[in-house]
Amino acid sequence: MMKSESTSLFGEQTRTISLSLAIVLGLILTVFLARWIDARRPPIDPAAADESLYLNGKTARRISLGFNGLAADWYWMRSLQYVGRKIMNLPDNVVLDSLEQLNLRLLPSLLDTSTTLDPQFLSPYEYAAVVLPAVDVDQAIRITKKGIEANPLAWRLYHQLGYIYWQQHEYQLAAETYGRGAQIPGAPSWMEAMKARMAAEGGSRSTAREIYSRMYEQSSDDKVKDMARRRLLQLDALDQIDGLQKMMVAFQNRFGRCPTTWKELEPVFRTMRLPLGEDGAPLDPSGTPYIFGKTHCDVQVSSKSEIPVK
Amino acid sequence: MSNATSVDEATSTRASTESPLAQSRTAGRIIAIALNAFREAVRDRVLYNLVLFVLLLTAAAVFIGELSGGQERKIIVDLGLSAMLLFGVFIAIFVGVGLVYKEIERRTIYVIFSKPVGRGEFLVGKYLGLCLTLLVNVAVMALGVSIALIYVSRGWDPLIKTIWPAVLLIYLELMILTGVALLFSSFSSPALSALLTFFVFIIGHFSADLKTLASSMGSTGARLLFGALYYLLPNLANYSFITPAAHGRGPEPGFLLAALLYAFVYIGVLLAAATLIFSKRNFK
Repeated sequence: MMKSESTSLFGEQTRTISLSLAIVLGLILTVFLARWIDARRPPIDPAAADESLYLNGKTARRISLGFNGLAADWYWMRSLQYVGRKIMNLPDNVVLDSLEQLNLRLLPSLLDTSTTLDPQFLSPYEYAAVVLPAVDVDQAIRITKKGIEANPLAWRLYHQLGYIYWQQHEYQLAAETYGRGAQIPGAPSWMEAMKARMAAEGGSRSTAREIYSRMYEQSSDDKVKDMARRRLLQLDALDQIDGLQKMMVAFQNRFGRCPTTWKELEPVFRTMRLPLGEDGAPLDPSGTPYIFGKTHCDVQVSSKSEIPVK
Repeated sequence: MSNATSVDEATSTRASTESPLAQSRTAGRIIAIALNAFREAVRDRVLYNLVLFVLLLTAAAVFIGELSGGQERKIIVDLGLSAMLLFGVFIAIFVGVGLVYKEIERRTIYVIFSKPVGRGEFLVGKYLGLCLTLLVNVAVMALGVSIALIYVSRGWDPLIKTIWPAVLLIYLELMILTGVALLFSSFSSPALSALLTFFVFIIGHFSADLKTLASSMGSTGARLLFGALYYLLPNLANYSFITPAAHGRGPEPGFLLAALLYAFVYIGVLLAAATLIFSKRNFK
């Protein structure tokens, strides 16, 4: 009796151990097999990544069964991933508002679907206003106007629509848009000031500085904030380049030639208290040395700088 | 412990206290059945879905920030409340359709009805038991969403205040759906009941389309049919306040009250219909 009990206990233990081993070994084997299959899988067709969406916003909203907010979030994150995947192969100094070289064919549909599913979701409108003008300006205006229609009290959307018009050099339209936004209860006083500035000096650097400063302050999206910060650095760099250019002209007038190295200009830079790099080159607002242009008669932002060239 | 034992206890307690009020006796029997249905759901590990929910929410709270472009608070509310509704719908449908069927299959229903328990009392007790299970489920989930919001906001978040009315509306929707499941299960098999209840859930969210269809139809018959369907089927779209809640907006008190009243009236109708059908069935 005792013997048969111990035999059955031994059998049970053996079964438990062998089954546990089978599970562990099986899992290890599946990992190896998955890696083997991954290594041999044909590359994904790039066209497949840009395949049109199966559902438009209205249909997606209709079949979302009360989960439209979650579906909107999904389309929003998909938009970010879609841009993020394409942006990965670009140089670091390309900013979010100049992605025209990327084929972002799906982005308008993704943002449109997200905002149709949840019309009160403001982030996709902001993204549309910042990223889309370089891709499809009509879609950018349409989506932002759709946002204004769905959120008539969101003054930020007027700011974003005004920004699109400003980028297109439509200063009168931009001024009107800022003016309408300024009338919304709770809109900050700078919206009214922006209206006047757009009408009077829409194309000026100070207007650009004002727009990007406000964008940096107002945005909750880190990527948009970063874009505004780099555009502000770019504006500072443009001011610096103007000053440096004057020094180059003065040097040229004095010596009858352009400088060959930064060292020749170093004494002037030191008098002006400009921050300098190791080779005596002045540093741009991001801390990267400026470089000479092709003829050494002009100054440029280095491609290594985080300041956008364009 | 079976329902029969539980009801037995309730009736014996009732006998010993000898309450003169028939109403309180009915209430006692309903409560006994409800508590038993709740205990049975807990024993059947229905609340284990909370573990999955907590894992989902924890993962969202920790990782969503990197994917959402600064929208983690909105996404946590959308995800949390949507999961609450989805899990609740599954519980309401799959547990709801088995409430009566299991008692019939185990033949315990004959023991229950050999005691002074009315068909209506039995159904209402079962219904309330599942509603209690759903209440615990929904309350714990709402607490989980609130904690996740506190975590991502590193402190108090104003959205915490606005999610609770949306949670109440989700709970009301689940109560209606449980009633629908109970109604179907009073005369149909569990598989068919689950399917029909799921259809009602889907059509309930298309109520606005039914109304549009009714008004746009040329034929009077079709207009009347779709109009009747619009008023006959529960308008579950009225209980979808997840998206506004994620934007910090709650329903108006008047709307909330009307939704509450509509739910109670509709549930009353469902339970009355279920009792009517169930009382025709022969369990002798």
